Amino acid sequence: MMIPQSHFLILGAVLFALGLYGALTRRTAIGILMSIELVLNAANINLITFNRFLGSPDGLGQIFALFVIAIAAASAVVGLVLVIAVYRNMKTIFTDKINLMKW
Amino acid sequence: MNGLIQTLSDILNNYGLRQEFAIRACFYSLAVLACIFGLGVVTLRNIFHCAISLAMTLFCIAGIYLFLNAEFLAAVQVLIYVGAIVTLFLFAIMLTAKIGDRSIRQTNKQVLASLAVSAAILSLFVSIIIGSPWKKAAADDTLRLGIGELGKALMSVYALPFEAISLILLAALVGAIVIGKAGK
Repeated sequence: MMIPQSHFLILGAVLFALGLYGALTRRTAIGILMSIELVLNAANINLITFNRFLGSPDGLGQIFALFVIAIAAASAVVGLVLVIAVYRNMKTIFTDKINLMKW
Repeated sequence: MNGLIQTLSDILNNYGLRQEFAIRACFYSLAVLACIFGLGVVTLRNIFHCAISLAMTLFCIAGIYLFLNAEFLAAVQVLIYVGAIVTLFLFAIMLTAKIGDRSIRQTNKQVLASLAVSAAILSLFVSIIIGSPWKKAAADDTLRLGIGELGKALMSVYALPFEAISLILLAALVGAIVIGKAGK
């Protein structure tokens, strides 16, 4: 393997930081969900990298990366349906306009 | 004859070097592309372009998985993320009108603070990663997980989390239908 482990991990860290920035700054709920997908992918890269370099015999890292993908799909589905339900009721998905439960 | 073998091995050596260079170039260009498209996901104004950029990022990450001997994961990434989740995002964007207008501000007022927090966390991570003594290329290509091994492990050792994840998916499915159902 000619590419060192740290470079994969740095790529994961960069993607995580990008996703964190997006989740903190986006006004639309859909943008926040997309940023969360970036964060989950960064976690996946780390899982598979450690699986590759530490050598888990039965592929623990890859299997849990699969689980992360499944949970990301579930969270995206539920999140987007919530976004659509909120849009139907309030005609906006800007998170700073949705203040029904704030006082 | 000796000279011929010498030149042949020279060519092979050169070819080996070039192959290594090609692999490195592929990896780093994929990584840089993933970062650039990821930047697009979080900074572009038009949310539709953000979704396309997200699809490209996920493609690049699937390519990165290939460098980690995770071919099945790369296929799953393309199928589920690019095929299903990004499509879902595009549908949601099209169902909620007028958010892609250029006149509408897409970021809230915390841009500078978020930038500082993200940069601080990134620098912390990178400094930790660079400072840690990683093993030099531990398990070589001997440890190559095929789909068969993955499936066996999923059905034997990790059967419980597998069942849990199927339950979560079912709950998400039913919940999505219940929440998304129109009408009172």
